Amino acid sequence: MTIALRVAAAFVLSLCSLAQAQEPIKIGVVLELSGRFSAFGHTCETGVKFASEVWGDTVAGRKIEFLYNDDQSDAAATVATLTHLISQDKINYLMGPLSSPIAAAAIGPWRQGKPIWFVPGGSTTTIEKEVGPEPMFFHTLPYAYHYYKTITEALKYQLDTTKKKVAILYVDDNYGRTHQPLAHQYFTQAGFEIVAEEVVRANSPDLNPVLTKIAQTKPDILLGIGQTTDSVTLAKQLYTRNLNIPYLIGPGSTQLREWQDSAGEAQEGWIGIAYYVPGVVNWPANKDYPRVLPSTAEWEKMFEARFKYEPNYHNLVCYINIMQLLIAIEKVGDDKEKVAAEIAKMDLMTPMGSGKFAPTGQGTLNQSFKDMMVFQRHNGKNVLLFPAEVATGKIAVAPR
Amino acid sequence: MPKVVVRVFLLIASVAFLALPFINSPVLNDLTFRICLLIMVAISWNLMANAGLISLGHSAFWGVGCYATMFAANLFALPLIIGLLFALVAGALIGLIFTLLTARLRGFFFAICTLGLSEGLRVTSLMLPDLTGGAVGMFLNQPIPRLEVFVLAAVGAFLCIVFSAFLTQTRFHFACRGMRNHEGAAQMLGVDPRPYRLAVVGLSAAMTSYAGGLSAIYGAYIDPSIAFDLRVTVQSQIAPIIGGMYTVAGPIIGAFVIVVLADQTRVLFGSSEGISQLIFGIILVLAILFMPKGVVGLWERWTSRRVAGSNTPIQHPLVHPKVTTAERTP
Amino acid sequence: MNFIGQALIDAILLGGIYTLMVMGLALSFGVIRIINFMHGEAIMLGAYGAYWAFALYGVDPLLVLPLLMMLGAAAGYVLFKTTIAPVLNAPHENQILLTFGLGLILTNVALILWTGNERSSNPPYTFASLNFGDIVVPVSRLLGFSTAAVLIGAMFIWLKYGELGRASRAIAQDRDAATLMGINVPHMYAFSFGVSTALAVASGAICSFIFAVTPFMGFDMLVKGFAIVILGGVGSVIGAVAGSFLLAFAETAVAYYVPNGNGWSEAVAFGVLFLTLLIRPYGIAGRPAAG
Repeated sequence: MTIALRVAAAFVLSLCSLAQAQEPIKIGVVLELSGRFSAFGHTCETGVKFASEVWGDTVAGRKIEFLYNDDQSDAAATVATLTHLISQDKINYLMGPLSSPIAAAAIGPWRQGKPIWFVPGGSTTTIEKEVGPEPMFFHTLPYAYHYYKTITEALKYQLDTTKKKVAILYVDDNYGRTHQPLAHQYFTQAGFEIVAEEVVRANSPDLNPVLTKIAQTKPDILLGIGQTTDSVTLAKQLYTRNLNIPYLIGPGSTQLREWQDSAGEAQEGWIGIAYYVPGVVNWPANKDYPRVLPSTAEWEKMFEARFKYEPNYHNLVCYINIMQLLIAIEKVGDDKEKVAAEIAKMDLMTPMGSGKFAPTGQGTLNQSFKDMMVFQRHNGKNVLLFPAEVATGKIAVAPR
Repeated sequence: MPKVVVRVFLLIASVAFLALPFINSPVLNDLTFRICLLIMVAISWNLMANAGLISLGHSAFWGVGCYATMFAANLFALPLIIGLLFALVAGALIGLIFTLLTARLRGFFFAICTLGLSEGLRVTSLMLPDLTGGAVGMFLNQPIPRLEVFVLAAVGAFLCIVFSAFLTQTRFHFACRGMRNHEGAAQMLGVDPRPYRLAVVGLSAAMTSYAGGLSAIYGAYIDPSIAFDLRVTVQSQIAPIIGGMYTVAGPIIGAFVIVVLADQTRVLFGSSEGISQLIFGIILVLAILFMPKGVVGLWERWTSRRVAGSNTPIQHPLVHPKVTTAERTP
Repeated sequence: MNFIGQALIDAILLGGIYTLMVMGLALSFGVIRIINFMHGEAIMLGAYGAYWAFALYGVDPLLVLPLLMMLGAAAGYVLFKTTIAPVLNAPHENQILLTFGLGLILTNVALILWTGNERSSNPPYTFASLNFGDIVVPVSRLLGFSTAAVLIGAMFIWLKYGELGRASRAIAQDRDAATLMGINVPHMYAFSFGVSTALAVASGAICSFIFAVTPFMGFDMLVKGFAIVILGGVGSVIGAVAGSFLLAFAETAVAYYVPNGNGWSEAVAFGVLFLTLLIRPYGIAGRPAAG
């Protein structure tokens, strides 16, 4: 009887642990799937979905469950959604939100549970100040200062920059307001003369007065710090005005297909910045995980075969972050602290180069992917200008 | 319903309501919190509507409360309750100044001015980043005092309900109704609308500012578009309308319905923002057309029809929208 | 820094476009005495109509404009008869909230169907401009202005000489007398609403190649529209024209001459609104407005 009891107990216990083991590993994905920043949200969602397809259903012996949520590009909805995910679903792993103001709004609820948090976005330095030093926070997009450091270096590489005049036009939103002082700082340090700095209201329909004021200062370079609607309006109205400003820089949107389509012929000559441009660099496949982290060319082929369009950097970085997370969980199991430590010390080759995390020196503990490339639109295609190792062309003057 | 039963029921409900914040379930707390805030906002909108003042800019007061409370918390490191006092005072002040400026305006013109106030304040707070943080926003510099926030929200909502019930027994209430029907006629009967307007808008603004301040602390981050969010305006109207305008129970019922509805649409429809706002719009339109007295009105009609031999003519709400039979405590 | 020439041109062109946007609002308020909070959405839908015609079929917005106007008129007529006519005799609050709710529905249907991404149509003349010395006149705005002028001119002629136009004016003057004169007032209401919607849709189509198109553009236009109608005088069509140009001039002046002026230009409409209501509530050309 005792033996029977023991066998029964063992059986029950193993059933219990089996039940436990069946509980899926939940990964929260909170993205801007509607509202102002939906373009970014959708590209990331595509990347995450692709990653989950390529990886498969299980990790560390358990099923994976992605909990997709739309933060509606709205702070209040973000707070409610994230509170639900952290308290009810008890997630240990979180991806997104991406856009600066929404990621900022997510900080409050995130602190209630502090899951591992990947933010492939949020270039504003306010996020760095608030959560940069947190060991659970992984920032996988450059911060604003990385942008302007690279842009000024690219300009110095391609142009003779002595006495070149710069006009800065920035949008009065979270993005524009945090980028402008950094742009000012880096351009001044690089020896440019800033001749105009004009703020424009977000969603402003009429930029003519501002453009006229800027034109009067006869700048050589126009830096337009804005996103979505504003960058389209700027490109189109600038093109119509024939101001003959030689060099046009748009760090926010020039890399996005939506911007290129909406701007039409006005996109010609605009200079943009991204840390991945398809078809340019071919990083080798990861030696240990070649199936999920193939070479860049291989990944691009897989993506295009699956989705029928050319990938952009948000597709890829979100894909990579999910793979990094899953690889870490596979290695050390579903233990938040251990996974975070594992990710922090990982040094994986990815289709976007080395995925190693390191401190920024300005507050963030875990930062990856901060080396950017500068490109210019020539005839509807990207020509790389910087860094020198990847440059494919010389800078050209904008047609109008 | 016998009065005693009603009173006992209300007592139990009040105690339960005030005890809710102490149950430590984050999802329940979050839901209750948002319902409490909307109850306050809905009651405040209803208060103004009762005096004939339609507000299309309630987000103005909400936003003022957000910033006032954030300033108090960040700049002066004051305890939450003092910060909320700031919000009350700031909101009331804005309301009073606004009323003085628009003293001669009624109906549609007043409504448009409230819209102007909320949008104007939003643009101003964007253009003064040194003061308000501008588009970059303001973060709360301390950890969120969650229990305090929930308790203060429940207490605030409770006080608003009690206050609005109390008001219906006073002369104040009837003066407002008179103003609503026809301000000119009310004046001829000896009701000077100005002090009533000031009182109504001041109180209303204070309530909404209080709610806004709580929401700012809870979210720990505000910027002009969050603080002066037009969705506050929309919800502030829909809740009383669907619950039953001009009544005491209406805003409360409406608040429950709206918050639960918003949550459910978020859960069910892959949370597309458009869908929940669309549903709100449909509710608003249907309510105005077919159910202008809201849930409370439906309840009244249903209970009055059951009284045998009732001589009350059924007033078609579209034809007699000004005559309400629900102007008493539930 | 001499901007004055450019500023003047910008202001005039903008004024024409504003006039078209606002004309329908002035008409519906003058004739039907209704506050139409979904006027902005009619503009937005017109803009989307023109955008999709261009994006899917390559049809120039100006060519598809008449078709859109007819669709708009029909939709306005039907909408009025079904949802708005019942609340005509209800208190103002009901009208305000009903049209506000309808506007909310339209905005969010657009958001769900077409997402919040900004759109713009790029017909060939989008990027062309005429240069007179230092002054640049974008051709797209010039075309928009001219179209608006034609439509508004036609409307004025219709109001003065057209059968139904004169009937509308009669109703605007005195509703009861018009009924006594044999004018079918309820039918005319629906008809006027249709015309007002058609004008809004036309202005939207023009906007599609000048500004960016989003589901939320209606709201901004609505607030400016109210500011203009109140400034010009509620119920006065001439007042609406005057108000449009005044607002356009005020906004342009602020954008050019005030530091960070573009940032403040959005607030100009509210400033105008407040000032008008405080100083002269019935506007420039209006009759003393009923409460």
